[in-house]
Amino acid sequence: MRKTNWVLIRRVFLVLLFGGVILYSLFPMYWMVISGLRAGRALFEPLLLPGPYSWQGYKTILSLTDFPTYYLNSILIAVGTTAITVAVVTPMAYALVRSRLPGMMLMVRAMLFAYMFPALLLAIPIYVFLVKIGLDDTRLSLILTHSTFTLPLGVWLMWGFFKNFPFEVEESAFIDGCSRLQAIYRIIMPLTLPGVLTVVLFAFVLSWSDFVFSLILITSDELKTLPYGLASIDDAYDANWGELMAGSTMICLPLLLLFAFLSRYFIRGLSMGAVKS
Amino acid sequence: MVTLRRTASLALPAPQEVSRVGPLERRDRKLFLAFLAPGMLLGIGALFIPVIYAIQLSFFHAESFIDEPTFVGLDNYIRVFSEPRYWEAFWHGLFYAVSTVFLQVVIGIGIALLLHQEFRGRNLLRSAALAPYILPTVVVVYIWKWLLNINYGISNAFLETIGIGPIAWFSTPSGAWVSIIFVSVWHWTPFVTITFLAALQTISDDLYDAAAVDGANAWKRLIHITLPVLKPVLIVIVMLRTIFMFNKFDIVWLMTNGGPLTSTEHLPILAYVKTFDMFDIGGGTAIATSIFVFLAVLIWIYFRMFPLEEH
Repeated sequence: MRKTNWVLIRRVFLVLLFGGVILYSLFPMYWMVISGLRAGRALFEPLLLPGPYSWQGYKTILSLTDFPTYYLNSILIAVGTTAITVAVVTPMAYALVRSRLPGMMLMVRAMLFAYMFPALLLAIPIYVFLVKIGLDDTRLSLILTHSTFTLPLGVWLMWGFFKNFPFEVEESAFIDGCSRLQAIYRIIMPLTLPGVLTVVLFAFVLSWSDFVFSLILITSDELKTLPYGLASIDDAYDANWGELMAGSTMICLPLLLLFAFLSRYFIRGLSMGAVKS
Repeated sequence: MVTLRRTASLALPAPQEVSRVGPLERRDRKLFLAFLAPGMLLGIGALFIPVIYAIQLSFFHAESFIDEPTFVGLDNYIRVFSEPRYWEAFWHGLFYAVSTVFLQVVIGIGIALLLHQEFRGRNLLRSAALAPYILPTVVVVYIWKWLLNINYGISNAFLETIGIGPIAWFSTPSGAWVSIIFVSVWHWTPFVTITFLAALQTISDDLYDAAAVDGANAWKRLIHITLPVLKPVLIVIVMLRTIFMFNKFDIVWLMTNGGPLTSTEHLPILAYVKTFDMFDIGGGTAIATSIFVFLAVLIWIYFRMFPLEEH
Protein backbone atom coordinates (compact mmCIF):
# COMPACT_ATOMS: atom_id res chain seq x y z
CA MET A 1 0.00 0.00 0.00
CA ARG A 2 2.69 2.47 1.02
CA LYS A 3 4.74 1.50 -1.99
CA THR A 4 1.97 2.25 -4.52
CA ASN A 5 1.46 5.62 -2.87
CA TRP A 6 5.10 6.45 -3.41
CA VAL A 7 4.92 5.35 -7.04
CA LEU A 8 1.90 7.57 -7.51
CA ILE A 9 3.53 10.57 -5.85
CA ARG A 10 6.64 10.07 -7.94
CA ARG A 11 4.57 9.91 -11.10
CA VAL A 12 2.60 13.07 -10.27
CA PHE A 13 5.83 14.86 -9.40
CA LEU A 14 7.44 13.81 -12.70
CA VAL A 15 4.41 14.88 -14.72
CA LEU A 16 4.50 18.28 -13.02
CA LEU A 17 8.21 18.64 -13.80
CA PHE A 18 7.70 17.68 -17.44
CA GLY A 19 4.85 20.14 -17.68
CA GLY A 20 7.13 22.80 -16.23
CA VAL A 21 9.90 22.08 -18.74
CA ILE A 22 7.46 22.18 -21.66
CA LEU A 23 5.93 25.43 -20.45
CA TYR A 24 9.37 26.98 -19.89
CA SER A 25 10.63 25.97 -23.34
CA LEU A 26 7.57 26.43 -25.50
CA PHE A 27 5.43 29.16 -23.95
CA PRO A 28 7.57 32.03 -25.34
CA MET A 29 7.32 30.55 -28.83
CA TYR A 30 3.58 30.03 -28.43
CA TRP A 31 3.23 33.64 -27.31
CA MET A 32 5.22 34.82 -30.35
CA VAL A 33 2.89 32.96 -32.73
CA ILE A 34 -0.37 34.13 -31.17
CA SER A 35 0.81 37.72 -30.67
CA GLY A 36 1.73 37.85 -34.36
CA LEU A 37 -1.86 36.96 -35.15
CA ARG A 38 -3.32 39.75 -33.06
CA ALA A 39 -3.81 43.44 -33.68
CA GLY A 40 -5.10 46.56 -31.98
CA ARG A 41 -6.31 46.37 -28.40
CA ALA A 42 -6.23 42.56 -28.30
CA LEU A 43 -2.42 42.73 -28.30
CA PHE A 44 -2.41 44.43 -24.95
CA GLU A 45 -4.84 42.13 -23.17
CA PRO A 46 -3.37 39.25 -21.20
CA LEU A 47 -5.40 36.62 -23.10
CA LEU A 48 -3.66 33.25 -22.82
CA LEU A 49 -5.70 31.44 -25.46
CA PRO A 50 -5.19 32.25 -29.15
CA GLY A 51 -7.38 34.86 -30.81
CA PRO A 52 -9.00 37.19 -31.70
CA TYR A 53 -7.19 36.58 -34.97
CA SER A 54 -5.98 39.28 -37.32
CA TRP A 55 -3.50 39.21 -40.21
CA GLN A 56 -2.82 42.93 -39.79
CA GLY A 57 0.72 42.42 -38.41
CA TYR A 58 1.68 40.21 -41.35
CA LYS A 59 0.11 42.56 -43.88
CA THR A 60 1.87 45.62 -42.49
CA ILE A 61 5.32 44.08 -42.23
CA LEU A 62 5.11 42.47 -45.68
CA SER A 63 3.75 45.48 -47.54
CA LEU A 64 5.08 48.56 -45.73
CA THR A 65 8.63 47.45 -44.88
CA ASP A 66 11.53 45.83 -46.72
CA PHE A 67 10.86 42.54 -44.96
CA PRO A 68 10.34 40.58 -48.24
CA THR A 69 13.70 41.88 -49.53
CA TYR A 70 15.39 40.80 -46.30
CA TYR A 71 13.79 37.39 -46.68
CA LEU A 72 15.14 36.98 -50.19
CA ASN A 73 18.62 38.09 -49.04
CA SER A 74 18.55 35.62 -46.17
CA ILE A 75 17.59 32.77 -48.49
CA LEU A 76 20.31 33.65 -51.03
CA ILE A 77 22.98 34.03 -48.37
CA ALA A 78 22.03 30.96 -46.32
CA VAL A 79 21.83 28.75 -49.42
CA GLY A 80 25.11 30.15 -50.75
CA THR A 81 26.82 29.61 -47.41
CA THR A 82 25.49 26.08 -47.11
CA ALA A 83 26.61 25.16 -50.64
CA ILE A 84 30.12 26.56 -50.12
CA THR A 85 30.42 24.95 -46.70
CA VAL A 86 29.50 21.46 -47.91
CA ALA A 87 31.65 21.75 -51.03
CA VAL A 88 34.70 22.88 -49.04
CA VAL A 89 34.26 20.89 -45.84
CA THR A 90 33.57 17.37 -47.13
CA PRO A 91 36.74 16.90 -49.21
CA MET A 92 38.76 18.71 -46.58
CA ALA A 93 37.63 16.47 -43.74
CA TYR A 94 38.20 13.40 -45.93
CA ALA A 95 41.76 14.50 -46.67
CA LEU A 96 42.38 15.31 -43.00
CA VAL A 97 41.49 11.75 -42.02
CA ARG A 98 42.80 9.78 -45.01
CA SER A 99 45.89 11.54 -46.34
CA ARG A 100 49.26 10.86 -44.81
CA LEU A 101 50.42 14.41 -45.24
CA PRO A 102 52.15 15.88 -42.21
CA GLY A 103 50.42 18.39 -39.94
CA MET A 104 46.87 17.11 -40.31
CA MET A 105 46.14 17.05 -36.58
CA LEU A 106 47.56 20.53 -36.32
CA MET A 107 45.06 21.69 -38.90
CA VAL A 108 42.14 20.07 -37.07
CA ARG A 109 43.33 21.85 -33.95
CA ALA A 110 43.60 25.17 -35.77
CA MET A 111 40.02 24.66 -36.97
CA LEU A 112 38.76 24.21 -33.43
CA PHE A 113 40.80 27.18 -32.33
CA ALA A 114 39.15 29.34 -34.99
CA TYR A 115 35.73 27.97 -34.08
CA MET A 116 36.13 29.21 -30.52
CA PHE A 117 36.70 32.80 -31.55
CA PRO A 118 33.53 34.83 -31.21
CA ALA A 119 31.81 36.34 -34.21
CA LEU A 120 32.23 39.98 -33.21
CA LEU A 121 35.97 39.78 -32.71
CA LEU A 122 36.33 38.28 -36.18
CA ALA A 123 33.77 40.60 -37.73
CA ILE A 124 35.68 43.80 -36.85
CA PRO A 125 38.95 42.77 -38.55
CA ILE A 126 37.07 41.20 -41.45
CA TYR A 127 35.14 44.43 -41.97
CA VAL A 128 38.25 46.59 -41.83
CA PHE A 129 39.91 44.28 -44.33
CA LEU A 130 36.89 44.18 -46.65
CA VAL A 131 36.75 47.99 -46.71
CA LYS A 132 40.41 47.98 -47.68
CA ILE A 133 39.83 45.65 -50.63
CA GLY A 134 36.47 47.26 -51.49
CA LEU A 135 34.27 44.21 -50.88
CA ASP A 136 32.29 45.49 -47.88
CA ASP A 137 28.51 45.82 -48.11
CA THR A 138 28.00 42.97 -50.60
CA ARG A 139 26.08 39.69 -50.37
CA LEU A 140 29.23 37.86 -51.45
CA SER A 141 31.17 39.21 -48.48
CA LEU A 142 28.47 37.91 -46.15
CA ILE A 143 28.47 34.47 -47.83
CA LEU A 144 32.26 34.22 -47.54
CA THR A 145 32.40 35.33 -43.90
CA HIS A 146 29.51 33.06 -42.95
CA SER A 147 31.41 30.24 -44.63
CA THR A 148 34.52 30.87 -42.57
CA PHE A 149 32.28 30.77 -39.55
CA THR A 150 30.63 27.47 -40.53
CA LEU A 151 33.86 25.95 -41.88
CA PRO A 152 35.47 24.98 -38.53
CA LEU A 153 32.28 23.43 -37.16
CA GLY A 154 31.64 21.62 -40.45
CA VAL A 155 35.19 20.26 -40.66
CA TRP A 156 34.92 19.18 -37.05
CA LEU A 157 31.60 17.38 -37.61
CA MET A 158 32.75 15.67 -40.83
CA TRP A 159 36.12 14.83 -39.30
CA GLY A 160 34.32 13.01 -36.48
CA PHE A 161 32.19 11.31 -39.07
CA PHE A 162 35.05 10.12 -41.30
CA LYS A 163 37.09 9.05 -38.30
CA ASN A 164 34.54 6.36 -37.47
CA PHE A 165 34.04 5.44 -41.11
CA PRO A 166 34.66 1.79 -42.07
CA PHE A 167 37.32 2.38 -44.72
CA GLU A 168 37.70 -1.34 -45.53
CA VAL A 169 34.86 -0.82 -47.99
CA GLU A 170 36.86 1.86 -49.73
CA GLU A 171 40.03 -0.23 -49.69
CA SER A 172 38.22 -3.13 -51.31
CA ALA A 173 37.06 -0.77 -54.04
CA PHE A 174 40.73 0.10 -54.70
CA ILE A 175 41.49 -3.59 -55.03
CA ASP A 176 38.68 -3.83 -57.58
CA GLY A 177 40.52 -1.19 -59.58
CA CYS A 178 38.63 1.96 -58.61
CA SER A 179 40.60 5.19 -58.45
CA ARG A 180 40.24 7.22 -55.28
CA LEU A 181 37.87 9.70 -56.85
CA GLN A 182 35.68 6.87 -58.13
CA ALA A 183 35.70 5.25 -54.71
CA ILE A 184 34.73 8.53 -53.08
CA TYR A 185 32.00 9.19 -55.58
CA ARG A 186 30.50 5.69 -55.62
CA ILE A 187 31.07 4.42 -52.11
CA ILE A 188 31.91 7.14 -49.63
CA MET A 189 29.48 9.85 -50.70
CA PRO A 190 26.32 7.73 -50.41
CA LEU A 191 27.39 6.42 -47.01
CA THR A 192 28.28 9.82 -45.59
CA LEU A 193 25.00 11.44 -46.59
CA PRO A 194 23.73 11.63 -42.98
CA GLY A 195 26.92 13.46 -41.99
CA VAL A 196 26.60 15.84 -44.91
CA LEU A 197 22.98 16.48 -43.97
CA THR A 198 24.06 17.41 -40.44
CA VAL A 199 26.55 19.90 -41.87
CA VAL A 200 23.89 21.31 -44.21
CA LEU A 201 21.56 21.90 -41.29
CA PHE A 202 24.15 23.59 -39.13
CA ALA A 203 25.49 25.77 -41.92
CA PHE A 204 21.99 26.87 -42.88
CA VAL A 205 20.93 27.61 -39.32
CA LEU A 206 24.14 29.51 -38.48
CA SER A 207 23.89 31.66 -41.59
CA TRP A 208 20.13 32.24 -41.27
CA SER A 209 20.42 33.26 -37.60
CA ASP A 210 23.50 35.45 -37.83
CA PHE A 211 23.05 39.01 -36.66
CA VAL A 212 26.60 40.17 -35.95
CA PHE A 213 28.20 39.86 -39.41
CA SER A 214 25.16 41.35 -41.09
CA LEU A 215 25.18 44.28 -38.63
CA ILE A 216 28.84 45.03 -39.24
CA LEU A 217 29.38 44.18 -42.91
CA ILE A 218 26.13 45.48 -44.43
CA THR A 219 25.13 49.12 -44.59
CA SER A 220 22.71 49.25 -47.56
CA ASP A 221 19.14 48.56 -46.56
CA GLU A 222 18.42 46.41 -49.60
CA LEU A 223 21.22 43.98 -48.70
CA LYS A 224 20.29 43.30 -45.08
CA THR A 225 19.37 39.82 -43.90
CA LEU A 226 16.35 39.01 -41.72
CA PRO A 227 17.79 39.28 -38.20
CA TYR A 228 19.43 42.66 -38.80
CA GLY A 229 16.45 43.67 -40.95
CA LEU A 230 13.98 43.00 -38.15
CA ALA A 231 16.08 45.03 -35.71
CA SER A 232 16.22 47.96 -38.15
CA ILE A 233 12.47 47.78 -38.78
CA ASP A 234 12.06 48.13 -35.02
CA ASP A 235 14.38 51.16 -35.02
CA ALA A 236 13.06 52.90 -38.12
CA TYR A 237 9.30 52.34 -38.27
CA ASP A 238 8.24 52.33 -34.64
CA ALA A 239 6.74 48.92 -35.37
CA ASN A 240 4.18 47.53 -32.92
CA TRP A 241 4.57 44.21 -31.13
CA GLY A 242 2.10 42.43 -33.39
CA GLU A 243 4.20 43.30 -36.43
CA LEU A 244 7.48 42.36 -34.75
CA MET A 245 6.05 39.02 -33.59
CA ALA A 246 4.65 38.35 -37.08
CA GLY A 247 8.13 39.03 -38.48
CA SER A 248 9.76 36.84 -35.83
CA THR A 249 7.38 33.99 -36.63
CA MET A 250 8.24 34.23 -40.33
CA ILE A 251 11.98 34.19 -39.53
CA CYS A 252 11.55 31.06 -37.40
CA LEU A 253 9.34 29.23 -39.87
CA PRO A 254 12.04 27.53 -42.01
CA LEU A 255 14.10 26.70 -38.90
CA LEU A 256 11.15 25.13 -37.09
CA LEU A 257 10.23 23.15 -40.21
CA LEU A 258 13.79 21.84 -40.58
CA PHE A 259 13.88 21.07 -36.90
CA ALA A 260 10.53 19.27 -36.91
CA PHE A 261 11.57 16.92 -39.69
CA LEU A 262 15.28 16.53 -38.99
CA SER A 263 15.65 16.98 -35.24
CA ARG A 264 17.64 13.77 -34.84
CA TYR A 265 20.35 15.19 -37.13
CA PHE A 266 20.43 18.32 -35.01
CA ILE A 267 20.77 16.27 -31.86
CA ARG A 268 23.45 14.06 -33.41
CA GLY A 269 25.42 17.09 -34.57
CA LEU A 270 25.17 18.82 -31.22
CA SER A 271 26.22 15.71 -29.33
CA MET A 272 29.13 15.15 -31.71
CA GLY A 273 30.24 18.74 -31.50
CA ALA A 274 30.31 18.72 -27.73
CA VAL A 275 31.00 15.24 -26.40
CA LYS A 276 33.78 14.41 -28.85
CA SER A 277 35.95 17.17 -27.53
CA MET B 1 48.09 11.38 -36.53
CA VAL B 2 49.79 8.00 -36.18
CA THR B 3 46.89 6.51 -34.31
CA LEU B 4 44.51 7.70 -36.99
CA ARG B 5 46.47 6.02 -39.74
CA ARG B 6 46.66 2.79 -37.79
CA THR B 7 42.94 2.47 -37.27
CA ALA B 8 42.42 2.77 -41.00
CA SER B 9 45.00 0.20 -42.02
CA LEU B 10 44.63 -2.24 -39.11
CA ALA B 11 41.67 -3.82 -40.77
CA LEU B 12 43.76 -5.00 -43.70
CA PRO B 13 44.66 -8.64 -43.35
CA ALA B 14 48.26 -9.08 -44.54
CA PRO B 15 51.32 -6.81 -44.07
CA GLN B 16 52.06 -6.63 -47.81
CA GLU B 17 48.59 -5.10 -48.25
CA VAL B 18 49.60 -2.24 -45.94
CA SER B 19 52.65 -1.51 -48.03
CA ARG B 20 50.46 -1.63 -51.12
CA VAL B 21 48.43 1.29 -49.75
CA GLY B 22 51.60 3.34 -49.39
CA PRO B 23 52.26 4.20 -53.06
CA LEU B 24 48.55 4.68 -53.51
CA GLU B 25 48.52 7.37 -50.83
CA ARG B 26 51.50 8.98 -52.53
CA ARG B 27 49.87 8.82 -55.91
CA ASP B 28 46.84 10.61 -54.52
CA ARG B 29 48.87 13.27 -52.74
CA LYS B 30 47.94 15.90 -55.32
CA LEU B 31 44.29 14.98 -54.98
CA PHE B 32 44.50 15.37 -51.22
CA LEU B 33 46.15 18.77 -51.60
CA ALA B 34 43.37 19.80 -53.96
CA PHE B 35 40.86 18.68 -51.33
CA LEU B 36 42.53 20.76 -48.64
CA ALA B 37 43.22 23.86 -50.72
CA PRO B 38 39.78 25.58 -50.84
CA GLY B 39 39.30 25.37 -47.09
CA MET B 40 42.81 26.59 -46.42
CA LEU B 41 42.41 29.49 -48.86
CA LEU B 42 39.13 30.50 -47.25
CA GLY B 43 40.68 30.25 -43.81
CA ILE B 44 43.70 32.29 -44.79
CA GLY B 45 41.83 34.88 -46.86
CA ALA B 46 38.83 35.48 -44.64
CA LEU B 47 40.25 34.72 -41.22
CA PHE B 48 44.02 34.75 -40.93
CA ILE B 49 44.80 37.87 -42.99
CA PRO B 50 42.00 40.00 -41.46
CA VAL B 51 43.06 39.06 -37.94
CA ILE B 52 46.70 39.91 -38.64
CA TYR B 53 45.58 43.15 -40.25
CA ALA B 54 43.48 44.06 -37.20
CA ILE B 55 46.36 43.35 -34.83
CA GLN B 56 48.50 45.59 -37.02
CA LEU B 57 45.83 48.35 -36.95
CA SER B 58 45.81 48.33 -33.16
CA PHE B 59 49.27 49.97 -33.32
CA PHE B 60 47.97 52.78 -35.56
CA HIS B 61 45.79 55.82 -35.14
CA ALA B 62 42.82 55.98 -37.52
CA GLU B 63 39.52 57.85 -37.36
CA SER B 64 37.92 56.34 -40.45
CA PHE B 65 38.27 53.17 -42.46
CA ILE B 66 39.43 55.03 -45.54
CA ASP B 67 42.23 57.41 -44.58
CA GLU B 68 45.85 56.44 -44.08
CA PRO B 69 46.51 55.31 -40.48
CA THR B 70 49.51 56.73 -38.64
CA PHE B 71 51.78 54.56 -36.52
CA VAL B 72 51.51 55.29 -32.79
CA GLY B 73 53.16 52.23 -31.23
CA LEU B 74 51.58 51.07 -27.99
CA ASP B 75 49.60 54.30 -27.47
CA ASN B 76 46.19 52.69 -28.15
CA TYR B 77 46.84 49.98 -25.60
CA ILE B 78 48.07 52.40 -22.94
CA ARG B 79 45.05 54.65 -23.52
CA VAL B 80 42.53 51.80 -23.47
CA PHE B 81 43.97 50.02 -20.45
CA SER B 82 44.06 53.23 -18.41
CA GLU B 83 40.33 53.82 -18.93
CA PRO B 84 38.19 52.61 -15.99
CA ARG B 85 35.52 51.82 -18.58
CA TYR B 86 37.69 49.04 -20.00
CA TRP B 87 38.07 47.30 -16.64
CA GLU B 88 34.40 47.76 -15.76
CA ALA B 89 33.55 46.09 -19.07
CA PHE B 90 36.01 43.30 -18.30
CA TRP B 91 34.37 42.54 -14.94
CA HIS B 92 30.88 42.81 -16.45
CA GLY B 93 31.87 40.17 -19.01
CA LEU B 94 33.29 37.89 -16.35
CA PHE B 95 30.18 38.30 -14.19
CA TYR B 96 27.92 37.61 -17.16
CA ALA B 97 29.92 34.54 -18.24
CA VAL B 98 30.18 32.98 -14.78
CA SER B 99 26.55 33.53 -13.79
CA THR B 100 25.06 32.34 -17.09
CA VAL B 101 27.34 29.29 -17.31
CA PHE B 102 26.54 28.31 -13.74
CA LEU B 103 22.78 28.53 -14.33
CA GLN B 104 22.98 26.80 -17.71
CA VAL B 105 24.88 23.88 -16.21
CA VAL B 106 22.60 23.49 -13.17
CA ILE B 107 19.36 23.74 -15.17
CA GLY B 108 20.86 21.76 -18.06
CA ILE B 109 21.82 18.80 -15.85
CA GLY B 110 18.43 18.91 -14.15
CA ILE B 111 16.50 18.78 -17.42
CA ALA B 112 18.88 16.16 -18.85
CA LEU B 113 18.30 13.86 -15.85
CA LEU B 114 14.57 14.36 -16.28
CA LEU B 115 14.62 13.63 -20.01
CA HIS B 116 16.75 10.55 -19.42
CA GLN B 117 13.81 8.85 -17.68
CA GLU B 118 11.95 6.16 -19.61
CA PHE B 119 8.46 7.27 -20.60
CA ARG B 120 6.17 7.52 -23.57
CA GLY B 121 6.61 10.57 -25.77
CA ARG B 122 10.19 11.06 -24.59
CA ASN B 123 11.49 12.06 -28.04
CA LEU B 124 8.77 14.66 -28.42
CA LEU B 125 9.67 16.20 -25.07
CA ARG B 126 13.35 16.18 -26.00
CA SER B 127 12.64 18.12 -29.15
CA ALA B 128 10.51 20.57 -27.18
CA ALA B 129 13.27 21.14 -24.62
CA LEU B 130 15.80 21.66 -27.41
CA ALA B 131 13.69 24.07 -29.44
CA PRO B 132 14.82 27.41 -27.87
CA TYR B 133 18.36 26.70 -29.07
CA ILE B 134 17.49 26.82 -32.77
CA LEU B 135 15.75 30.21 -32.63
CA PRO B 136 17.84 33.11 -33.93
CA THR B 137 19.10 35.34 -31.14
CA VAL B 138 17.25 38.34 -32.56
CA VAL B 139 13.95 36.49 -32.34
CA VAL B 140 14.70 35.31 -28.80
CA VAL B 141 15.43 38.88 -27.75
CA TYR B 142 12.25 40.30 -29.31
CA ILE B 143 10.07 37.57 -27.82
CA TRP B 144 11.43 38.26 -24.34
CA LYS B 145 11.36 42.03 -24.72
CA TRP B 146 7.69 41.61 -25.52
CA LEU B 147 7.07 39.16 -22.67
CA LEU B 148 8.88 41.46 -20.21
CA ASN B 149 7.47 44.72 -21.57
CA ILE B 150 6.67 47.14 -18.76
CA ASN B 151 3.21 48.21 -19.92
CA TYR B 152 1.73 45.34 -21.87
CA GLY B 153 4.02 42.35 -21.28
CA ILE B 154 2.30 39.17 -20.14
CA SER B 155 4.85 38.66 -17.35
CA ASN B 156 4.01 41.97 -15.74
CA ALA B 157 0.28 41.25 -16.09
CA PHE B 158 0.97 38.04 -14.19
CA LEU B 159 3.10 39.78 -11.56
CA GLU B 160 0.35 42.33 -11.00
CA THR B 161 -2.30 39.68 -10.41
CA ILE B 162 -0.18 38.09 -7.69
CA GLY B 163 0.42 41.49 -6.15
CA ILE B 164 3.94 42.39 -7.25
CA GLY B 165 3.85 45.62 -9.21
CA PRO B 166 5.02 45.89 -12.81
CA ILE B 167 8.79 45.72 -13.06
CA ALA B 168 10.67 47.99 -15.46
CA TRP B 169 13.18 45.31 -16.43
CA PHE B 170 15.31 47.43 -18.72
CA SER B 171 15.58 50.76 -16.91
CA THR B 172 17.59 49.77 -13.82
CA PRO B 173 21.05 48.13 -13.95
CA SER B 174 20.00 45.19 -11.79
CA GLY B 175 16.78 44.65 -13.74
CA ALA B 176 18.73 44.79 -17.01
CA TRP B 177 21.25 42.24 -15.72
CA VAL B 178 18.55 39.89 -14.47
CA SER B 179 16.77 39.96 -17.82
CA ILE B 180 19.96 39.55 -19.89
CA ILE B 181 21.07 36.61 -17.76
CA PHE B 182 17.65 35.00 -17.73
CA VAL B 183 17.19 35.26 -21.50
CA SER B 184 20.74 34.02 -22.21
CA VAL B 185 20.16 31.03 -19.95
CA TRP B 186 16.83 30.30 -21.62
CA HIS B 187 18.40 30.45 -25.06
CA TRP B 188 21.53 28.37 -24.45
CA THR B 189 20.60 25.82 -21.79
CA PRO B 190 19.35 23.30 -24.40
CA PHE B 191 22.90 22.98 -25.72
CA VAL B 192 24.08 21.91 -22.26
CA THR B 193 21.04 19.65 -21.83
CA ILE B 194 21.63 17.78 -25.06
CA THR B 195 25.31 17.32 -24.32
CA PHE B 196 24.65 15.87 -20.88
CA LEU B 197 21.88 13.71 -22.30
CA ALA B 198 24.34 12.24 -24.80
CA ALA B 199 26.80 11.57 -21.95
CA LEU B 200 24.08 9.96 -19.83
CA GLN B 201 23.24 7.59 -22.65
CA THR B 202 26.77 6.18 -22.55
CA ILE B 203 26.13 4.73 -19.06
CA SER B 204 24.97 1.15 -19.40
CA ASP B 205 21.84 0.06 -17.55
CA ASP B 206 23.76 -2.89 -16.08
CA LEU B 207 25.68 -0.49 -13.90
CA TYR B 208 22.47 0.89 -12.37
CA ASP B 209 21.00 -2.59 -12.03
CA ALA B 210 24.08 -3.84 -10.23
CA ALA B 211 24.02 -0.84 -7.90
CA ALA B 212 20.32 -1.37 -7.23
CA VAL B 213 21.02 -5.02 -6.36
CA ASP B 214 23.71 -3.82 -3.95
CA GLY B 215 21.06 -1.70 -2.27
CA ALA B 216 22.00 1.77 -3.54
CA ASN B 217 19.00 4.09 -3.63
CA ALA B 218 18.31 6.61 -6.40
CA TRP B 219 20.27 9.36 -4.65
CA LYS B 220 23.34 7.16 -4.13
CA ARG B 221 23.18 6.02 -7.75
CA LEU B 222 23.17 9.66 -8.82
CA ILE B 223 26.17 10.54 -6.63
CA HIS B 224 28.28 7.44 -7.29
CA ILE B 225 27.47 6.54 -10.91
CA THR B 226 25.84 9.39 -12.81
CA LEU B 227 27.83 12.39 -11.63
CA PRO B 228 31.29 10.76 -12.02
CA VAL B 229 30.39 9.92 -15.64
CA LEU B 230 29.26 13.50 -16.22
CA LYS B 231 32.37 15.04 -14.67
CA PRO B 232 34.68 15.13 -17.74
CA VAL B 233 31.83 16.43 -19.92
CA LEU B 234 31.09 18.98 -17.24
CA ILE B 235 34.65 20.32 -17.26
CA VAL B 236 34.67 20.63 -21.05
CA ILE B 237 31.25 22.29 -21.11
CA VAL B 238 32.15 24.79 -18.40
CA MET B 239 35.32 25.84 -20.22
CA LEU B 240 33.74 26.06 -23.66
CA ARG B 241 30.63 27.85 -22.45
CA THR B 242 32.66 30.33 -20.41
CA ILE B 243 34.70 31.25 -23.48
CA PHE B 244 31.50 31.58 -25.54
CA MET B 245 29.53 33.58 -23.01
CA PHE B 246 32.39 35.95 -22.22
CA ASN B 247 32.12 37.11 -25.84
CA LYS B 248 28.43 36.91 -26.58
CA PHE B 249 27.77 40.21 -28.29
CA ASP B 250 24.39 40.01 -29.99
CA ILE B 251 22.12 39.17 -27.06
CA VAL B 252 23.48 41.91 -24.78
CA TRP B 253 23.61 44.45 -27.59
CA LEU B 254 20.04 43.77 -28.72
CA MET B 255 18.60 43.73 -25.22
CA THR B 256 20.21 46.77 -23.64
CA ASN B 257 22.86 48.27 -26.00
CA GLY B 258 25.09 47.99 -22.94
CA GLY B 259 22.83 50.28 -20.93
CA PRO B 260 21.31 51.81 -18.93
CA LEU B 261 24.36 54.08 -19.46
CA THR B 262 27.21 51.56 -19.49
CA SER B 263 26.01 49.28 -16.71
CA THR B 264 25.73 46.14 -18.88
CA GLU B 265 28.57 46.97 -21.25
CA HIS B 266 31.16 44.19 -21.66
CA LEU B 267 34.34 44.08 -23.75
CA PRO B 268 32.85 43.02 -27.12
CA ILE B 269 30.31 45.86 -26.86
CA LEU B 270 33.02 48.33 -25.90
CA ALA B 271 35.10 47.19 -28.89
CA TYR B 272 32.09 47.66 -31.18
CA VAL B 273 31.15 51.07 -29.74
CA LYS B 274 34.74 52.33 -30.00
CA THR B 275 35.15 51.14 -33.58
CA PHE B 276 31.80 52.04 -35.09
CA ASP B 277 30.29 54.76 -32.88
CA MET B 278 33.36 56.67 -31.71
CA PHE B 279 35.41 55.99 -34.87
CA ASP B 280 38.36 55.14 -32.68
CA ILE B 281 39.51 52.25 -34.87
CA GLY B 282 42.89 51.89 -33.21
CA GLY B 283 41.26 51.73 -29.77
CA GLY B 284 38.56 49.28 -30.90
CA THR B 285 41.04 46.93 -32.52
CA ALA B 286 43.30 47.20 -29.47
CA ILE B 287 40.41 46.01 -27.29
CA ALA B 288 39.61 43.23 -29.76
CA THR B 289 43.27 42.18 -29.77
CA SER B 290 43.39 42.16 -25.99
CA ILE B 291 40.39 39.79 -25.94
CA PHE B 292 42.12 37.67 -28.61
CA VAL B 293 45.17 37.28 -26.42
CA PHE B 294 43.11 36.56 -23.33
CA LEU B 295 41.07 33.94 -25.23
CA ALA B 296 44.08 32.39 -26.91
CA VAL B 297 45.62 31.78 -23.49
CA LEU B 298 42.38 30.22 -22.21
CA ILE B 299 42.01 28.02 -25.29
CA TRP B 300 45.66 26.97 -25.09
CA ILE B 301 45.12 25.89 -21.49
CA TYR B 302 42.00 24.06 -22.63
CA PHE B 303 43.91 22.07 -25.26
CA ARG B 304 46.67 21.35 -22.75
CA MET B 305 44.08 19.82 -20.44
CA PHE B 306 42.17 17.96 -23.15
CA PRO B 307 44.43 16.78 -25.96
CA LEU B 308 42.50 15.72 -29.06
CA GLU B 309 44.18 12.31 -29.40
CA GLU B 310 42.70 11.10 -26.15
CA HIS B 311 40.07 8.87 -27.77
